[in-house]
Amino acid sequence: MSMYYAGILSDIGILLLGALSVYIILATGQLSLGNAGFMGIGAYITSWLTVEAGLPITVALVIAALVSGAIGVAVGFPALRLKGIYLAMATLGFGEVVRSFLLNFAAMGGPEGFHGMHHISTGYIWTWAVSVLVLVMLIEASPIWLEIRAVRDDETAAGLVGLNATEIKVGAFGCGAAVAAIAGGLFAHHHVYIEPGNFSFERSVDLVLAVILGGSTVASGALAGAVMLVILPEYLRFLAEWRFAAFGALLIAMLLVRRQGLLDRALLRFAWRGSRA
Amino acid sequence: MTSSLTKVLGAAGLAAALSGIIASGPVHAASAEIVLGAIVPSSGPFAEWGRTNTATLQMLEKQVNDAGGVNGAKLRIVILDDATKPAQATNDLRKLAGDDHVLAVAGPLTSSAAEVTFPVANEMKVVATSQASSKPGVAKNNRPWAFRNTIDESVLGRATVPYYKKAFNIKSVAIIFDAKDATAATVGSKIMPGLMKENGIEVLNANDPLSFNTGDLDVSAQVTKIKALNPDGVVVSADYSQAVTVIREMKRQGVIKPVVGSTQLISSAILKAAPEIPIVAPATFYASMPGDKPQTFVKELTPLLHKISGLPAEIEPSMYDANIYEIGSIYIDAIKKAGVTGKPEDLEADRTKIRDYMTKLSGFPGLGGPIAFNQDGDAIKAFYIVQGQNGAWESKVRGCSAPDGKHGC
Amino acid sequence: MPGAGPGVPKTRSNATPTSPISFWDAFVLIQQLVNGLTLGAVYTLIALSFSLVMGVLGVLNLAIAELFMLGGYFGFAILLARLPLPVALVAGMAGAALVAAIVERIGYQPFRGAPVVTPMLSTLGFSIILQNVATNVWGSDPLQLSDEVLSGRFNIGPASISAIQLVVLSVTVLLVASLAFLVQQTSIGRALRAVAENRDVARLLGVPAGRITLIAFMLSGSLAGAAGVLIGVHYAAITPYIGVEVGLKAIAVMVIGGTTRIWGSLIAGPLIGIVEVMTVAYVGSQIRDFVVYGLMILILLLRPQGLLGSGRGDQSQRV
Repeated sequence: MSMYYAGILSDIGILLLGALSVYIILATGQLSLGNAGFMGIGAYITSWLTVEAGLPITVALVIAALVSGAIGVAVGFPALRLKGIYLAMATLGFGEVVRSFLLNFAAMGGPEGFHGMHHISTGYIWTWAVSVLVLVMLIEASPIWLEIRAVRDDETAAGLVGLNATEIKVGAFGCGAAVAAIAGGLFAHHHVYIEPGNFSFERSVDLVLAVILGGSTVASGALAGAVMLVILPEYLRFLAEWRFAAFGALLIAMLLVRRQGLLDRALLRFAWRGSRA
Repeated sequence: MTSSLTKVLGAAGLAAALSGIIASGPVHAASAEIVLGAIVPSSGPFAEWGRTNTATLQMLEKQVNDAGGVNGAKLRIVILDDATKPAQATNDLRKLAGDDHVLAVAGPLTSSAAEVTFPVANEMKVVATSQASSKPGVAKNNRPWAFRNTIDESVLGRATVPYYKKAFNIKSVAIIFDAKDATAATVGSKIMPGLMKENGIEVLNANDPLSFNTGDLDVSAQVTKIKALNPDGVVVSADYSQAVTVIREMKRQGVIKPVVGSTQLISSAILKAAPEIPIVAPATFYASMPGDKPQTFVKELTPLLHKISGLPAEIEPSMYDANIYEIGSIYIDAIKKAGVTGKPEDLEADRTKIRDYMTKLSGFPGLGGPIAFNQDGDAIKAFYIVQGQNGAWESKVRGCSAPDGKHGC
Repeated sequence: MPGAGPGVPKTRSNATPTSPISFWDAFVLIQQLVNGLTLGAVYTLIALSFSLVMGVLGVLNLAIAELFMLGGYFGFAILLARLPLPVALVAGMAGAALVAAIVERIGYQPFRGAPVVTPMLSTLGFSIILQNVATNVWGSDPLQLSDEVLSGRFNIGPASISAIQLVVLSVTVLLVASLAFLVQQTSIGRALRAVAENRDVARLLGVPAGRITLIAFMLSGSLAGAAGVLIGVHYAAITPYIGVEVGLKAIAVMVIGGTTRIWGSLIAGPLIGIVEVMTVAYVGSQIRDFVVYGLMILILLLRPQGLLGSGRGDQSQRV
């Protein structure tokens, strides 16, 4: 495999994790436009732990995930008061606040950025990506998922049958934040340099875009979306300066043709039957 | 049912087409060919620089091939767009070095891109030379394969500030900088305050840094504060397109004070912002630079730039066009003189030869004088303190980035 | 009077040392208030643009930031052709409204039943297209007006207000007043409010809901376009990327003002403009964004209906 494809694959792995972080939160009916903020938190904590405290990368990632998860829970509680687009806007604000904080965080370079991390392999990134993806898919196959879907579809009814909607929604925020932090930590150690601009609103939107384009009702949709979002701009290079305009047009076209995203349950079932026939 | 199936198939087809990712790969010409690579931002906020860089490299390619190529082989420069996105620049380098088997890479342009791309250059053992990055220490952190055909801003500032002080009798300044831009923030918050102190100039807002963010439209509050401080001059540390906003606002509020800044200010656009406000900045090249070499370069390149759509009618070759032209020329010189074969089996050895040639380079005839590289990978070359006023840059002082300030320029 | 500079009292020495510091400080304060109000006027227009679509349809149209940018370019094109400012303003509004209509037909109408995130992303697609088209047509370098269109200024001591600032403020007031009239007094306005209240009921009552959403988008686009022209003329330099930061801020302004009452922006715009400017002036420029977005989160949590919003009843219904 050429280094180029390895680089592309690493990008896909990191974006997949970021997209999964959105997917987990979205599964409970909450749209987050601030997950780049959690990625940033994860990237800075992991980098500090490996560079300044000398911890191994895996330990650092776990710690960053735990800290970010706790912040996610702290964000999740007040977020319960908000729904739909209002929640999206509050999380957007959260993301901007984190970026603004990092810009002023002189201890780790502020606008000058932070270096010193060691490069990690594509295999290492994908070990994390596949593990988290499998974990999410296992949850999807378990009874817990039914509860999560019940909360998403009708919170009041879910409450009536004894489901704890608060626990599920706040828990999803915590888990999403933890996964985003892992994505951020891996990003930092893939590029071996980070600056606050890496974790902007634009990246939050990319994560959501991957989920929606790939299919927001199945975890494998995040994978499909991540592959598309990374490869599309590369594939469109022949268009030269019209590359990104075409990217925007294709994005709209994809949504028009298949607004539920590339993959959904019906398609997966169809493919499953087809492969057995 | 059928219609939804068609939709699924349509979408799947679209996705399948996408997953064919540049399936064709690089085409290797049978005849002997010398391949170089370049990473430029042809889309995004720095599109203009990327596009003029592209025209410059295409001109170089044609010039070399018209003159018989390199050691008898045809020169081909593969130019990739990074869309001003650092992560794309890293993949561009991987593609150029890994798939296109280029001998060396010119670019990337910005410091943010260089920060993440230079480590990849080291990993893949290929020379990468930035045409614009001037944030301190970026090449230094990524030796031995990273180079910059630029001079560290702290070196340039050491010559700029004394001239500025003398020319305008400056005793006090206020500093304003773009906090979101790594280079501008470093210059504005560290380098400039230090240089002012060295030169006995008081920084009136030393304890109250004034900043704004890339993309801000309104800097009126910051400029009002500057006006209230009433400094003799103003340090504007920002990329030129952001600096335009600040200088426009200064004009609007009647703060007609001489401005000083880094190489980031050099552009023709900034001269139009407020012609009555003098601007002092260092440059290694400017379009009206006297001399045969630079004038031939400008004469040949300017018509080519006019053919590109979406550029201002009065576009001139920029400092970064000159830098990337020099980078390309240095690589070609290396290939000619260091015994580079350009054969696939010699790729690794060829790249090392180019690197060693660059490290030892001295007195390469650049557009503005001789070029060499110091231990940090940054250029040792002549630079000029230029003053922009009434719509044109004028050179005031010639400096040299060699450690002793003279040998090598 | 080319180059407004020479006529302006330049230095602090005019005020000190003979007059007390507080006298000077008062002028700085006035100047900062004027700065904040001008910025606030811009925020108001763009936030109103967001909130028209948000309030009526519950959709976040991310392309508005780029409609604003386009308005600026259209206006510049007219001004560079040496036509007067009112013509530029009309051209900017009409041009942006037209593009908004395309966004509505392709980016909103087909996604009417979809979750809120889908039309938001399709409008994001438009915003990517518009940024890149603008880059390819006009270039990424700032396009500048050779000299300010209206270069007159009024001085109150060392504080100075430019004629164009007054134009920005008065056109904003005029546009907001016309919008108020349109929404409150005309049949289109009643239809808009009916659709905002309940689309299905409105249709039962014979309101052509499809046409009304188109009108909402075009009105919203023309406000963004007007803001673009005003800003373009005031700051006299635009790039294809000027919409990005301002757009996000305007969303914050809309939220702070309350999305259910589009008038909230009228209070929140100047408020945020002044808060921003005062943060820069008296606290520190580096924490400005922190303050603005922090305030937005606080408002969302404490008063989700916004400063002026009333009742929380229709919060969930929108989404």
